[in-house]
Amino acid sequence: MRAKPSIYLFLVPGGLVFLIFFVVPTLYGLSLSFTNWDGLSPQFQFVGLANYANLLTNDSAFHTAIGNTLKFVLTVVVVQSFLSLVFAIFLLKNTRVNVFLRTLYFFPTILASVSVAFIWMFIYDPNIGILNSLLGDVGLSHWQASWLGNRHMAIYCIAVTEIWAHTGQLLVIYLAGLQQIPRELYEVAVLEGASRWQTFRKVTWPLLVPATTMVVAYTTIQSFRMFDLIFAMTDGGPGNSTEVLATYIYHQAFQYNHVGYASAVSMLFMVIIALITMAQFGLLRIRSPKSA
Amino acid sequence: MSLPGDARQWMGHGVPADGPSVEDKGGNGVERVARTLAMGLATVGLVAAVAGCSSGVSGGGGQGNTGGNAAAGGTGSGQAVTITFLHWRGEDVPEFNKIIADFHKLHPDINVQMKVIPSDQYIAQAQADLTGPNGADVFTSFPGAEFSAMEKAGLYTDLTNQPFVKDYNPNLIQAGQDNGKQLAIPYQVVFNMPVYNANLFKQLNLQIPTDWNGFLQLCQTLKDKGYTPIVFAGKVSAGQFFNDMVMNNVPDPKVFTGLLDGSSKLTDPGFLKTFQRLSELAKNGYFQKGPLGTSQDAATALFAEGKAGMLALGSYQMAPVNTDNNSAFPMGLLAPITTDSASQAKYQGIDTTTFMLGVNANSPHKQQAEAFISYLSQPQVAAEYANATDQMVTVQGVKYTNPTLQAMEPMLSKPLRFHPMYTLTNQQVVDAVTNAVEDVISGMDALAAAEKGQKAIDQALQQP
Repeated sequence: MRAKPSIYLFLVPGGLVFLIFFVVPTLYGLSLSFTNWDGLSPQFQFVGLANYANLLTNDSAFHTAIGNTLKFVLTVVVVQSFLSLVFAIFLLKNTRVNVFLRTLYFFPTILASVSVAFIWMFIYDPNIGILNSLLGDVGLSHWQASWLGNRHMAIYCIAVTEIWAHTGQLLVIYLAGLQQIPRELYEVAVLEGASRWQTFRKVTWPLLVPATTMVVAYTTIQSFRMFDLIFAMTDGGPGNSTEVLATYIYHQAFQYNHVGYASAVSMLFMVIIALITMAQFGLLRIRSPKSA
Repeated sequence: MSLPGDARQWMGHGVPADGPSVEDKGGNGVERVARTLAMGLATVGLVAAVAGCSSGVSGGGGQGNTGGNAAAGGTGSGQAVTITFLHWRGEDVPEFNKIIADFHKLHPDINVQMKVIPSDQYIAQAQADLTGPNGADVFTSFPGAEFSAMEKAGLYTDLTNQPFVKDYNPNLIQAGQDNGKQLAIPYQVVFNMPVYNANLFKQLNLQIPTDWNGFLQLCQTLKDKGYTPIVFAGKVSAGQFFNDMVMNNVPDPKVFTGLLDGSSKLTDPGFLKTFQRLSELAKNGYFQKGPLGTSQDAATALFAEGKAGMLALGSYQMAPVNTDNNSAFPMGLLAPITTDSASQAKYQGIDTTTFMLGVNANSPHKQQAEAFISYLSQPQVAAEYANATDQMVTVQGVKYTNPTLQAMEPMLSKPLRFHPMYTLTNQQVVDAVTNAVEDVISGMDALAAAEKGQKAIDQALQQP
């Protein structure tokens, strides 16, 4: 049966939204990436691929930002996914304590990023912060540090903050995934004499691949786009040690008035995220039992 | 599918109240829904267009604090006009509210609405505001890179021939000039030098040092007595303290600004000496624990507790210290003299003229905006502002009654250097220097930090 042409009108609202809020800005950003527009002046010049060439060959701050972004993303994706899975397994049963703990772990998710940043800046403060005070109180004063002031540690400290803030959110996805696994499979595993580890490896984990795909993809994209926590906590410092791609774009566009250059970074950023996300989906689809 | 009666009415369709049938005179169900959708979209578009047209006068909300005595304004004859005043001094809002109220009594047809963006976000957000369709009419800007960027973008109205320019000390408003034109009026005078606890200095019988050894001895004495010699506030102090450290090591302003065209390098002797001396302070433990991880507020609180000798910020931080410690101790200003002898020191401190008032070139209310700046330029108004906010001003004939300002006044007669970092008109170069300072404070070798910083500058200068 052929659909009447008028049915395509249903696509118009979504299509318009996609066109206005994604396609047009992306194309506009792409066109700006070939210019030297400063974001303020009415005039600018076409510079061809010069922005891209400079980014790839003569901008160590950009390369540092890529390195920091990868450090941050890897830390957050691995630790956050692992913790949310562990918490979901332990909090699966609907007991009162578990429901309370789920709520507790979810709570940071509803806080504004800036609030989270200020809470953790207070925790990390080297002189009046809770963390150093606690370490001192338990006799670990040699572990006290300038958490956000140390070039080697600062990016990981922000990653811990991000993990704290969003593990509860991903826990919910894993809980939903775990609750969809038929109980019969576990009963069969018990009858077959499978150990707990074998049950997890052969039953739970394969059936959690769709949820894991969701969690990993979501966490990866969110971590790549990380801006607010870093902006509020360190603004990319000390040195460039916490400068990530998102803050680098901001600094180039709005502090240095290099909007054309920042657009070129944005384009590369978009391509990187797209490639990584596609690779992740491909990898996890191969491992999914449904694709077999 | 059935829609509530009100919704159907809003969509402008005479759909029967009991819901549409699958087939009726208007065509089949799919076509009807499609038409409804189309009408709905048109309505939404119209509503959006009307809303867009009616968002004329800036409401001032959104970012940061707002204040002022704004009333809904208009531009028609006989109607009040509302102008927006954009700045970063949230702590001055109560005083500006009073000044604006007094201004409104004199000019009942002009309302002033304040919009405040925190200083650390000001550069980025103010430029976006000013280039937008409802940008602020009166705005403030920092000297240096921000002034330069805004000037290039043509955002300033030429104020050269405004009568109020004569109310200012001509030596203190040069930062707002370009090609002989007065584009902005710096309103505040700030001393970017460490603030010291005068009570503590008196108690320990400490004198203001006049050379580098004297400064090191001062720091050591404070440390030996159990006090933190210098409280450092992360990135903010890195950008501020460097000015004091470099002023006598690179005394020629042209050599300093040579960083912008590559004629000077961070690895040159004067800059390198500055980094080495910063490194000496860090290695001797003269900063508090974790200087780069300490926020400006935390640093201010630490100093206000009275457990530190100096706070590596500037005169603008005296008021917050007084607030934190309930004016518990008097303060003074001192800059580290980095030369081997006092006679070699050309400068004894750093000053800045900032909070530069400008009129948006795109403003439809330039006359009203200029009237407001003219009012701020009156000595009695400037005095009221200065004494209430602990900020010295560039207006001539102002009498300071505030004890903090009275303590600062002698600085004006000393040989001071204009904030060197504000003479760098490329913010990337400024950040490269600041990052080098942070690297040194965090333990990197002075030469390695200078080389790294210079590499960043070279790359910034080559950027398309």
